[in-house]
Amino acid sequence: MSDTVLEVKNLNKVYGRGDTEVHALMDVSFSVKRGEFLLIVGSSGSGKSTLLNMIGLLDRPTSGQIYIDGVNTTKLTDNQISSFRNSKLGFIFQFSNLLADLTVLENVLLPRNIQRTDKNAINDTINLLKAVGLESQMYKRANKISGGQAQRAAIARGLVNKPAIVLADEPTGNLDSITAETTVQLMRSMAKKLNQTFIIVTHDRHQFGDADRIITIKDGRAFEGEDQPHKMEITV
Amino acid sequence: MDYRIQLAKRMLANKKGSLIGAVLAVSIGILVIHVNFVIFQGLYDAIVRDLSSYRFGDVRVTDEEDFITKSDVFLVNWLERIPYVEAASSRIGSSVSINVTKNGKLIEEFQIPVVGIDPFRDPRVSTVHETVKEGQYVFSRNSIVVGSSVARDLGGVRVGDSLQVQVTDRFGQDQIRRFLVTGIATSPGGQGLDTSVIVHIDALRDMLSRNGETGEILVKLNDPKKAADVKDLFLRSFPNDDFRAETIEESAEEALSGFRSGIAMINMIGYFGMMSSAFAVVTIQMMLVSSKTREVGIMRAIGAKRMDVLIIFIVQGMMIGAIGAGVGTAFGLTYTFYAKETKMSFQGSLPLEVSYNWPNITQTALMAFALAVVASIYPAFKATKLQPVEAMRYV
Repeated sequence: MSDTVLEVKNLNKVYGRGDTEVHALMDVSFSVKRGEFLLIVGSSGSGKSTLLNMIGLLDRPTSGQIYIDGVNTTKLTDNQISSFRNSKLGFIFQFSNLLADLTVLENVLLPRNIQRTDKNAINDTINLLKAVGLESQMYKRANKISGGQAQRAAIARGLVNKPAIVLADEPTGNLDSITAETTVQLMRSMAKKLNQTFIIVTHDRHQFGDADRIITIKDGRAFEGEDQPHKMEITV
Repeated sequence: MDYRIQLAKRMLANKKGSLIGAVLAVSIGILVIHVNFVIFQGLYDAIVRDLSSYRFGDVRVTDEEDFITKSDVFLVNWLERIPYVEAASSRIGSSVSINVTKNGKLIEEFQIPVVGIDPFRDPRVSTVHETVKEGQYVFSRNSIVVGSSVARDLGGVRVGDSLQVQVTDRFGQDQIRRFLVTGIATSPGGQGLDTSVIVHIDALRDMLSRNGETGEILVKLNDPKKAADVKDLFLRSFPNDDFRAETIEESAEEALSGFRSGIAMINMIGYFGMMSSAFAVVTIQMMLVSSKTREVGIMRAIGAKRMDVLIIFIVQGMMIGAIGAGVGTAFGLTYTFYAKETKMSFQGSLPLEVSYNWPNITQTALMAFALAVVASIYPAFKATKLQPVEAMRYV
């Protein structure tokens, strides 16, 4: 298994055409090693969420390539992208985005159910819920738990398929400072425990303490480190 | 349980207003079809029933040219030997002029249909005798039962009155005879002999100078479905006679052909009603899809394929269809049961002949189910077109 889990090459994203053309991402290239806890920081509108959507295969780049676990994802069909997202990527959104119609357990189980191949899914999911401290909440409807609990459930859902990368878009953006702190600690401990790659987009870098690595997005361009004006080196 | 079915069920259950609306739309469509069937098919069957009971029997035997000259006793006995035949009886018909003096005033009516019946056999093949609400049925050669319309036209003839009846015999001679009114016949809906008079068959044969002849033989079957078999057997058995045998459907064709096309039109309107309920399902499903945009986005983000989303909303359509078909059929059967048990009639008209037409009921339920599923295809397809990144912007 290669040590590099993500490789982004010359990524560009352009919205609109002609006079209304906006370059959201410009020639972004970087790579991420397995098990890294990476922060992508930048001010509002800098393009960091656009970058995360590209890596998460939720949106297609205008040009450039994204390799995840050695697979060139820009060549995948719509169905292949769905399967790839399901098996290789975990998502944690700002607004936990649990399905209100399901219980916490069913929400966390959903990515496994979409795979429809797993016999131990329920036991694994219950263990994961225990690990994130939601054992007593698992049979409650998703809209009946607190914001912090919902975000912990979202972390569990992001991890349940043992993905190559967990992508988190402002995971603490909707939480009070104490709950945000707990959530960050949970993500860090799970990353360490499971040797799990996390890519976290945030505008509040200080909330996350010491990250393995930081990439700053400014005006659609990516820079290695925190607010460093030099262009990062491409590591292929 | 497959997560898509579970999710479809939960999404629908948590949108009770939409679920109830969609189910009602489907079930009302079915109810309209059932009500149409009970009323119009019930009316049709009631007319068939009454025409069979009062006028034609299940099979009616006549002569192609004129009166039947073969012995009616022989023919009746022959027919009654067929296992499917419950009873047979002969009748003869003509038209008469009747006059009566009421309060010193002579009232005369012309061209009144007259039916000569065998008072002993006729009650076994017909229920005309049950329509005699005042007095009693024909029992002797000088007794006459007057239809309620005729009685009214003759100035209110009552039981015990005496009528003078004039008929033109086969030789063109007028024959006059006086009869005693023994009964007044009235039938709900007027399908009986309300506009006729009824006399003893032999009395009318005498007046028409047609002794030994018969106008028609009515045959009642213990299984009306065997009418065509009995008819064919009879015609095959008397190939050299000019007999004509008709089933009730053939005898009543003239009276019912217009009605049948009316029923077809009403049914068509009912099915259009059902289609409009499909439009309601489309609208409600579109609302459901719209309210679940974010959920669809989340599911797509965590790996659900377009087909999975399509299946979820199609399954919702199937659930709406199944519940709607069940509820609508239950409503319809309740109405049918009520109409049957109460012998439903409208403003004293003939009571509807209500039946449970199971093939029709099943077909209607299946059609409603299929329409609800078809109506869900477009909203489901729209749901699959949602892009995850766009859909998740709905918070």
